[in-house]
Amino acid sequence: MMMNEKNIKHRGRFAQVFIYLGKLFRMFIFQNDWKVLPMSAIIAGLVSFVVGANLFKTQEGTLMGTFALSCICIWNGFFNSIQVICRERPIVKREHRSGMHISAYITAHMIYQAFLCLCQTVITIFICYITKVRFPDTSLITPWAIVDIGITLFLITYCADMMALMISSFVHSSTAAMTIMPFLLIFQLVFSGAFFQLSGVSLKITNITITKWGLTALCAQGDYNDKPMVSLWNAVAKMQNMEIDGTKPIQEFMTYASESDVRDRILKWCGMNNQNELYAFDAVSVLRCWGFLVMFTVIYAAVAVICLEFIDKDKR
Amino acid sequence: MDTNLIQGGDIFDILNIVFWLIGSLGYYNLFKKCSVKPLWSLVPVAREYHISLCAGKEREGRTYAILYGVNMLLEIINLFISETSILDMIISIIMLAVVTAQCVYMIRIFLGLCQVFERKKRWTWLWIITESLTAIIWGCSKSFEPSRKVESIDKDAGASISDNYVRPSDTGLTVNINGRTTIDFFKKIYLLRDIHLSIPEGHMVLLLGGSGAGKTTFVNAVTGYEQADASIMLRDKDLYRDYSKMKYDVGFVPQQDLMRGNDTVLRTLADAATLRLPSGITIFARKKRVHEVLEEFGLGAISGSLVEKLSGGQRKRLSIAMEYISDPSLFILDEPDSGLDGVVARGLFEKLRAIADLGKIVMVITHTPDRVIDLFDDVIVLAKDASRTGRLAYYGSVKDSYDFFGKNSMEEILLTINQKEEGGEGRGDEFVEKYALLAAKSGEKAGDDDE
Repeated sequence: MMMNEKNIKHRGRFAQVFIYLGKLFRMFIFQNDWKVLPMSAIIAGLVSFVVGANLFKTQEGTLMGTFALSCICIWNGFFNSIQVICRERPIVKREHRSGMHISAYITAHMIYQAFLCLCQTVITIFICYITKVRFPDTSLITPWAIVDIGITLFLITYCADMMALMISSFVHSSTAAMTIMPFLLIFQLVFSGAFFQLSGVSLKITNITITKWGLTALCAQGDYNDKPMVSLWNAVAKMQNMEIDGTKPIQEFMTYASESDVRDRILKWCGMNNQNELYAFDAVSVLRCWGFLVMFTVIYAAVAVICLEFIDKDKR
Repeated sequence: MDTNLIQGGDIFDILNIVFWLIGSLGYYNLFKKCSVKPLWSLVPVAREYHISLCAGKEREGRTYAILYGVNMLLEIINLFISETSILDMIISIIMLAVVTAQCVYMIRIFLGLCQVFERKKRWTWLWIITESLTAIIWGCSKSFEPSRKVESIDKDAGASISDNYVRPSDTGLTVNINGRTTIDFFKKIYLLRDIHLSIPEGHMVLLLGGSGAGKTTFVNAVTGYEQADASIMLRDKDLYRDYSKMKYDVGFVPQQDLMRGNDTVLRTLADAATLRLPSGITIFARKKRVHEVLEEFGLGAISGSLVEKLSGGQRKRLSIAMEYISDPSLFILDEPDSGLDGVVARGLFEKLRAIADLGKIVMVITHTPDRVIDLFDDVIVLAKDASRTGRLAYYGSVKDSYDFFGKNSMEEILLTINQKEEGGEGRGDEFVEKYALLAAKSGEKAGDDDE
């Protein structure tokens, strides 16, 4: 039928994207992919319950809260796509043999995963909102601070999602993918550059983690540098019952400081001495972080395409 | 400073070398017993690989040798870097991981040695604790003899090369495979060699061969998926040169039903049609084709069902329909009857016969050919020769194949050509030579007729 016709063309990359998008959205409905949405709501609920009270209020609360938010985004992203390619690798190989373009296949995944990440971001913000998490009042990029935060959460989730997609494209089984995933997760947590004191090479390594740029963007948006620092005050408060020559000077000072505005001034002064220039409350800082996240996303997707182009080399 | 003083580290190094030499001597004799070139015992890394050959654990040996090599390399790097540097720390961590993996593979190999030498598994402990001394004991003591020796494969063994090149015809499929090679652990090996045949249109051909004879490699070479040193002509078109266009004219149905279980039958087929049919076809023509194929393969009534809910036979029919949708001229199926009962399999092969009767070339790999042999026109018999290369032992009509091999069924033919260690008669080389002569004669005759 076809051999006698000259210059026969088949569906190109663009048209093939829609074939696979259809397949993926059917998978969302008929398979268990939709479950990632309620799962993200539960995780967001737990995290905001634990760290939401001091988020964007104190430096410690902001750092801990944004770290936790970054972690849930990475968790969501990883779980969205870690198995999506490796579980159907033989099918991909067959379809590649029949004319499927790998770039179209990955693009379809990217669009579909963007949809999932967007839904998860909206869910996370909604959960934070109903658990009374106080979001920043001032925005940096868009007119609404909550949208700025939402974009950052989306970019973190999507970047992690693409990283997991990349892993899924070069491992050959779901078991292998699920074995690698915890290592990646630990790497992201340890090298976030915020929670653990790192120096030298270790500090440089933080530049390649999603958590570092995600957390930095969130801290900048939350105006971390202008927040009071309470650690010193809390440490001193633990010693307030200490007696010297029959008196309790620390308790006396704390009472005085609390009754006047000295306490707030001390907390603010502590915060000022704990500023981090990376967390500067300006649009450039945030855009720089977003830029890194977008760059990582593009790199991960490109590596996924390259890895999958070699699928024909898979041994039987 | 007294230069005559030998430090603790030096003693350790000297002992290491002494033990290595003792071990080499042990392995030298052990390799001789196992028919492995004993000189390999003196070459690090290669020695580790050859121990695994003695143990009958070649696969493990590859990994073990690589790990051993990596470890050696890391040790050398470690000599040149400061003990306090971060690189030293990183290398130490990697070395720990490598040594752990090495230990696991070492245990597997030593267990294999115990099995080959018919010794108790507890010997493995001694191998681990003091490898060199155990190697000396096993190598030099006459009471340690292997139950089987390492089989060496002579690359030049096997039937001679015929080069019975087949002239391409304007119709049908012409296959001229000179060789299909691969690199396997630094060695170049032939998977297929010297296969020349021409299949007319409308023929249904059985592809017969034992395990490892190269059936799938042959199919992949013919379809252009894994290109060989070959010329594959489908009618007057070179399949390799125009692969990007020609691949739509070749349908390959894999052994497993590789389809997404969460899609419906209709959607699966419709997507396959969108992917495989030319983009110039209208949506109505495409839909019409999908419904035609659904009906043709008896899937119309279940078009709305999810693929995961289908029976084995229905799934197989859908898998075939996915390739058939583009109406290919060459249709190849890898064990389409696996997992199907006799009646369902028969029905499936009758469907394939009907496709061949439409003027298509249908090539089928099956391990139970005798129940449906009446439906085939020709048979291609592939056999492993003495060098373990897939060779053409026969191509011709099914009827003539019985006379050629002096057997009454395909299963008997398979037993004849299979290697002795596979339970066969090991006559593959004999029939490869015999067929080469037959093909040469018929080629000469055809040449005379042309003149």
